[in-house]
Amino acid sequence: MKEFYKNITDALAMLNGLENDLNIRHFTPNELKVFYTIIIRSACNEDGSNITEIVDNSGMSRSTVYKTLKKLSSEGIINLNQSEDDGRESLVVLNSRT
Amino acid sequence: MFSTALWIMWHFLDTHVLFLTGDGVLFYLPHAARVLCVVYFGLRAIPGLYAAELIGPYIIDPGIYSFSIFIPALISVMAVPLTLLVLNFLGFTLGRKISSPLNRRNYKHIFLITFISAGFNSLLVNLYLSTNNLSFSESITDIALVSQFFIGDITGTVLVFIFLAMLLKPILRQARN
Repeated sequence: MKEFYKNITDALAMLNGLENDLNIRHFTPNELKVFYTIIIRSACNEDGSNITEIVDNSGMSRSTVYKTLKKLSSEGIINLNQSEDDGRESLVVLNSRT
Repeated sequence: MFSTALWIMWHFLDTHVLFLTGDGVLFYLPHAARVLCVVYFGLRAIPGLYAAELIGPYIIDPGIYSFSIFIPALISVMAVPLTLLVLNFLGFTLGRKISSPLNRRNYKHIFLITFISAGFNSLLVNLYLSTNNLSFSESITDIALVSQFFIGDITGTVLVFIFLAMLLKPILRQARN
């Protein structure tokens, strides 16, 4: 059993290193959910995801997603770019430094 | 038991919650279970992982599953031990100290193992399938399938690690204090 705990501790240490390097330590649960949704959407669309897609995929309210995106943007984790197709729409892209 | 549950859980998330599987799969989450279990629990995790590869899809989707994939499943499970064996042969022994050539507490080293094992898995499974005129998908070519396996395994594992780092944040914070 002691060996099992040692193995789990090693796995947690590995995840801790990843968490430190990704700088996600200060995220709230809502921010984590939105960040996770953006990562998945980024794999499907390199140009970025519109906010409606993030609202639909995260299962959170539009206002919560807006507030969270603004906070993530102010921290430089994501960029909000204006869509070329629709000027009223913002595209969310992960900052390349993230 | 632990490795079986882990594999089935990621497979279920992949197919029924995130809907990430299919011909254009970009994330294959169960590869993370293979890497995590073999790296941290050693060879004793293999029977559990193999059982999960065989019975997991049957439990989740009984109607669309065939047991004829028992050799590809074995190859997939053995991809991580094979990687560790090759790295060990090259002098990179897996350990838990900073001085270890392959440190299992360093996520970059775990990503290296993921990368190489994804290569073995994609090549060997598809080699077996093509030599036996079998295929998971009739709509895409062998080369595309190899790339799909390779990229899917890597991105799926990275996604699981990020997800776990986020999910286990309170535990990690407590461990730091």
